[in-house]
Formats: sequence, structure tokens, C-alpha cells
Amino acid sequence: MVRAVLKKLLLLIIFMLALSVIVFWLARIAPGDPLTAYYGDAVERMNEQQREAAMIRLSLDKPIPVQYFTWLRNALTGDFGISHQYKQNVLSVIGRLWTNTLLLGGISYLLTFLGAILLGAFCAAKEGGLADRAIYRIGTATSVIPSFFVALLAILIFSVNLKLLPTSGAYSIGGGGLSDRALHLVLPVGVMVLSHLWYYAYMIRNRIIEELRKDYVVLLRVKRVSGMSILLRHCLRNALPMLITIMAVSVPHIIAGTYIVEVVFGYPGLGTLTFESAQYRDYNMLSVLTLLTGLIILVSNVAGQWLSEALDPRMRHDEITEEATNE
Amino acid sequence: MNNVKRPLLSAALLGTIVLACLLAGVFAPGDATRMDFYASLVPPDAAHPFGTDQLGRDLFKMILHGGRVSLIIGLLASCAAALIAVVYGTAAGLAPRWLDNFLMRVTELIMSIPPILYVITLLAALGKPTMLSLSLVIGVTSWMNIAKIVRAEVRQIRRSEHILAARLMGAPFLYTLRRHLLPNFMPSIMFMLISNVSQAIAAEATLSFLGLGMPPGSATWGTLMGLSEDALLTNSWWIILIPSLFLITTLICIVNIGEYLRRVQH
Repeated sequence: MVRAVLKKLLLLIIFMLALSVIVFWLARIAPGDPLTAYYGDAVERMNEQQREAAMIRLSLDKPIPVQYFTWLRNALTGDFGISHQYKQNVLSVIGRLWTNTLLLGGISYLLTFLGAILLGAFCAAKEGGLADRAIYRIGTATSVIPSFFVALLAILIFSVNLKLLPTSGAYSIGGGGLSDRALHLVLPVGVMVLSHLWYYAYMIRNRIIEELRKDYVVLLRVKRVSGMSILLRHCLRNALPMLITIMAVSVPHIIAGTYIVEVVFGYPGLGTLTFESAQYRDYNMLSVLTLLTGLIILVSNVAGQWLSEALDPRMRHDEITEEATNE
Repeated sequence: MNNVKRPLLSAALLGTIVLACLLAGVFAPGDATRMDFYASLVPPDAAHPFGTDQLGRDLFKMILHGGRVSLIIGLLASCAAALIAVVYGTAAGLAPRWLDNFLMRVTELIMSIPPILYVITLLAALGKPTMLSLSLVIGVTSWMNIAKIVRAEVRQIRRSEHILAARLMGAPFLYTLRRHLLPNFMPSIMFMLISNVSQAIAAEATLSFLGLGMPPGSATWGTLMGLSEDALLTNSWWIILIPSLFLITTLICIVNIGEYLRRVQH
């Protein structure tokens, strides 16, 4: 057990290091002077000595691998440099905004999966029926439409024409009460859920249908257990490990979706920040955001894997047998 | 195999759109981005069947000419993704266990970052995007899932006699791949390749909409949809709805065809 955890942790660290190499390399091949990138406009006010000291501090006079390790050492102490655009420490800018993204992403994530489970179970129960087929058609269409367009349509209908909901931002100017925040979240969350729901609902539907065909369901039917109970108490429970795996794997999709929706709604969060830093070539900010996103996703993957193995030891076993049959 | 309904409607619609875009010069001759300030924001009429935008550019022309760019980017990106996926997946499938494990970990690493973030970072690093660079960036960020399937298929058939025989006789990697492996796993990745085209087209649209893709002056379905933010203010519905209608119809048709191939396969 301890060994397994350590192994996952080690893998996580290796992944993060590899990611940091990629990020560092990308920032270096990008056009622009690394000194300016790190210190911003302050470089212009530096005299010759200060500039040299800064060069040495960042090891810019040394070969690239040494530069990387210096960057890594600074990064590990939380020093990622200055954001060009905000003229502030990168981490303090992120610190102001990450809760907004967590709120939007978190609520969307929970609602998407709650909806997907209900819709998936419903379609599985009505497999092949009119409702199932109709939902399949509509679902495929909604998951194909790019989410930015769904967002635009939502703004056109609910904000511009019906004037029911605010078009953008996370709160009104000056305001910031709970109901105000909630009102600003309705459209972004709605768009998120709408554009991700069917993808997961369909997977859950197919998994439950597979479960419904198993022998124990026949036995339950013979024992006159109600259909609802079979579906929710037995099939859904057996599908749980797979559900958790999907939920872990879906984190990158949800994050990517949140980032795009944030931009369209001008919602102040990490997505808008990512987009802005790309536009203004704020590489320090961009690399930290990439690392941060990568870390969240890797951790959720490891957690998801661990959870589904804990719930169903066969998940681990299957991997071994699969390997065995391959060889 | 025969009980799967053929997506005739989707194929016909897609064919019409593709043909219209390819022959854009015939149906809509002239420069698509020519501005005419006297005819700005004209609703659809006889002279401008799809209306005009704020700068007086004819939407009909822009959609056909822009569609060509969007479709080419989608195809190029998918070809790039398919090429990487096939070579990488086959290499991993044929490789010894430790190398295979390593290669699969690398794909997991790449997949752990949202593609949009890669694309943004890559584009920011590459400078001003062109049709080719945009396609390559989209392709480079979307091959992982296909590669996984290729690898699984190759691993299943790598022990079969004809492949062993070919390898024992010293057939080079690319020859084995083309002659013995590709025909075997092609059917199972075909539908993924097709849906990849639609994802690539959607990616181009999203990026151009966000202002990170093709430059705003050029006409693609993405940049056209980018106009809709301004159109919200003037409430000119045709700018928002007509280009997106083309984009979404294309995407749905491609997905339907891909879905048909998947069903035939199983």
C-alpha cells in the first residue's frame, strides 16, 4: 500500500518535472528577451551593475540547462518572476483570481455529473425507445456545437433580448452580494453543463445498459425487485468505479471548457488570465498557469485511479491480466 | 452491417457545403474581404443573400471563401495528427515492454494538459499564425487518443505469423507498418480520424473566435463567428446565425458519418 502510494507520488513528481522542462523550453523559444520577461519594465530602469547582477541571478550567462535549474530553484521557492501585464508577482495575481475559477469550474463539474448520471440512467432504462433516441440526437448536436457559440447564443437570448441576466463579469461594479454572484454564474454554468453533459451521460448510459444485461439483473427481476431499485441500487453501484474514472479523466475537459467560457463571458478567472497572457505575451504568467493546470489534472488523475482501485480491486487486477494476455 | 442506416442526408449536405467552398471562385467571384462602407450591416436581400457585416463585406462570399480555409485547416490538422498517431502508436505497439510503458506515460503526460492551453502557448511562442502553423499546432495537440488505439491494435496482432515472418525476414519498420499493420488497424481508427476533422474545424473556429487563430482580417468560419460579439450590440442576427449555421451543419454531418463508420465496424 505504502509502496503503491510512493510509486504514484514519484510518477507525479517526474511528470511535473517533465512538464516544467516543456514549459521552460517553450518560454525560451518564444521571441523576446528573458531578462525583460522576468523583471518586466524594471529592466529599463536598471543600471549596468544591477542588470549584470540580475543576469547572474537568473544564470543567463550560463548554458541553457543551468538556466533551467536556476529557474527551477526559484520556482520551488515560489518565485516565478513578474507578470508583464500586471507588473506584479505572478503568484499574487493568480491568488486573487483562482477562487473565481474554482467556483465556476466546481459548480459546473458537480452539476454536469449529477445531470449526466440522471440522464444516463434515464436513457438506459428507456433504451431504444423514442425518448432515448430523441435525447441521443439532441445530445450529439449539443456536444458538437463549440461552447463559445452556445455562450454567444445564451447572451443573445437571455441578456440582450430578454434582459434577464448579466452579460459578463463575476459581479456587478461595486456590488458583490451572494445573489449578485449567483446571478452572474447562471449563464456560464449553464453553458458549461449544456456542452459537456451528453458526452458523459452517453458513456454512463452505455455502461448501465451493459450492466442491465448481466445475470444478476435477471435474478433481481425474478425476485420482483422494482426496476428503479435495480437501476439505482444495483447497476449504478456496479458502474461506480468506472464513473469515478470518467470523473477523474474529465477534469482536463472541464478545465478547458471553463477557460473558454470564462473568456466569452469576460469572467475574471484563470482562463481569462491565460488568454490575456497569451495575447500580451506574458510568458511568466503563462508558464505558471500551465504548470498549475497540469498539477491539478495530474493530482485528480492519481486520486481517481486510487479511488476506483479502492472501490473495486478488479481494476488493478484487470490491468495485470491485460498485460499478461498481451505478452 | 446492413441494418445500420446510412447517413445519406449528412453526406449530401456535407458534399454540398464542401463543393460550394471548393468552387467559391465560381459561385462567389471576386475578393471576399472587399469592404463597402455604403453597404454596411445590410440584412439578407437579393444583392447580398446572407447580408453584410459592419465593414460592408458580403457574408455569402466570406462564408464560401472562409469555409475553404476552415476545411483545409481541419483536413491538414487531422492528417498531421493521424500521421503522428500511426507512427507513434505502431512504434509503441512493437516496442519492448519498458519502452512501450515509457511512450504511453509520455502520451498521458501530454493528455494531462488541456489542448487549448498547449495551442495557446505554442501559438504565443510561434508568433503570427498562418494556415499551416495553425493546422500543425492543432494536429500536434490532438493525436494522443488515436495513438492509444493504434498501439492497442498493434499489440494484439504483433504476434500473428505474418507479421513475425515479415520482421524475421528483416522488413524495415515503415514497410511492416504500411504493408501489414496499417490495413489491420485502419478500420478501427477510421471513425476517430473522421471525428478528428470535426474537432479540428471546431478548434480553428474557437481559436479564431478568441482572436488567437487566423488574423481578424482574414475570412474563416472562426473569424466570421468572431464578428458576432459586435453583432450582439447591433442585434444583427444574420452575422451571428448564418456563419455558425454552416459551421455547425458541417460538424454535425462529419460526426454523423464518423458515427456510422463506428457502428459498421462493431
